Amino acid sequence: MSGPRVAIVQFPGVNCESESVHALALAGLDGEVFRWTRPARELAAFDAFVLPGGFAWQDRVRAGALAARDPLVDALAAQAERGRPVLGICNGAQVLVEAGLVPGGGAVELALARNRMPDRDGYQSRWVTCRVEEGPCVFTRHLAPGTLLPLPVAHGEGRFTSAREGFVDELLSLGQVPLRYADATGAPAAAFPDNPNGSAAAAAAVCNPRGNVLAMMPHPERVLDLGAIARGIGGAWGARRDEALARGGGDVHAPAPGRALFAGLAAHLQEA
Amino acid sequence: MAARKRSVQAFVELRSEDPERTSALAVARERLAAGRTLEGLRRFRLFEISGSALEPAALAERLHGSTQFYNPAKERCVVRADAAEPVPAAHGEALVLVVERGGERRPAAERWWRHAAGERVEVREGVVWALRFAPGTDAAAAAGDLAVARDRAHGLLANPHAEEHRVVAGALPPCDWMTLRPVRPGRRTRRSS
Repeated sequence: MSGPRVAIVQFPGVNCESESVHALALAGLDGEVFRWTRPARELAAFDAFVLPGGFAWQDRVRAGALAARDPLVDALAAQAERGRPVLGICNGAQVLVEAGLVPGGGAVELALARNRMPDRDGYQSRWVTCRVEEGPCVFTRHLAPGTLLPLPVAHGEGRFTSAREGFVDELLSLGQVPLRYADATGAPAAAFPDNPNGSAAAAAAVCNPRGNVLAMMPHPERVLDLGAIARGIGGAWGARRDEALARGGGDVHAPAPGRALFAGLAAHLQEA
Repeated sequence: MAARKRSVQAFVELRSEDPERTSALAVARERLAAGRTLEGLRRFRLFEISGSALEPAALAERLHGSTQFYNPAKERCVVRADAAEPVPAAHGEALVLVVERGGERRPAAERWWRHAAGERVEVREGVVWALRFAPGTDAAAAAGDLAVARDRAHGLLANPHAEEHRVVAGALPPCDWMTLRPVRPGRRTRRSS
């Protein structure tokens, strides 16, 4: 493959790197797993970066806390400063938040805290609906605001929160919350289970002011084909899945909502 | 007259080498300015159990017999029922308590206690890091710097946007440490209202 090169940065404990390579390939991008043992300076040869999901360093101390202080992340920060796109998915999002790359500026301004759910505690794995919001994010700005994307989440610490009252709402008003959890009608979801973790402003993703660094909790790389959309998902995407399943053949491999984020990255790299 | 409420602490530590300790120590020493004089680090899970009918003698056995607190096959537990009793950390170590803001209560453990012992208690859980610095280091200041994650080069143990921390150096912590308001620079610890 000879498309733009994307490094999939793998710390020990990361486990979604292969799906991320596949997702990038479907978007015409040349993904390469970049393990933590390689010299950080080699990152400069790549056009964009993905921090995939998993449990970097076993979530020791706090999810993302140790990886955020790795020299590789300093190199990533330098590339992000140059405008190169960085996508953190789930554990990758936790790394970006702990590193201060999101919401930007280098200081730790947010936390992805333990899920808050009524009458339960811990890890939550389910499908959610994400609503696209207007903003500068290079991964979503090609999508019309209000577009609904069913995506899976799987995390124990995914609640965007800040010690500064109203800070996440402020980010929303600045266009730095490109994806929000939504209910079946598309309205922002304040309550469980549509908002699966109690995230402030129903934020499912937060980006930096420039829009080239995105921390998102849902897993787009897990829903690349229509056949991967769960049976319980209705709406337009559910109807497309049902039609594809009824027709059979290769239709179940038609694009599903997770590809939208990677297509956005590919479009941005083509423009750049 | 209602019986006076008291708090007891249970410090739980892995019997084997603790990978969290190893990684945190390595990152603090290699990557953080305040960690350069850090010579040792230990990690405890801390439970604080508050109630009016707590019998310290029966407490250790109760903690040992439950699956809510620790696994005796791989962890050891030290119970501390009085603020004058020592903590399991070594002399000279600074202690940093980290608790999730608003998320320290353990309802499942409280339900278990009510069922098993017929007592209503409040159970809180946090993490205590015991830090040993090189001689001559201002341990309280260095521990405070290592505690609060400010950016990639400063702080590690607590993300202030979700967690609170308290530091004790050269003294013993109270048995109701988690319910005290966190110390702000230049102020003394106060009890929560």
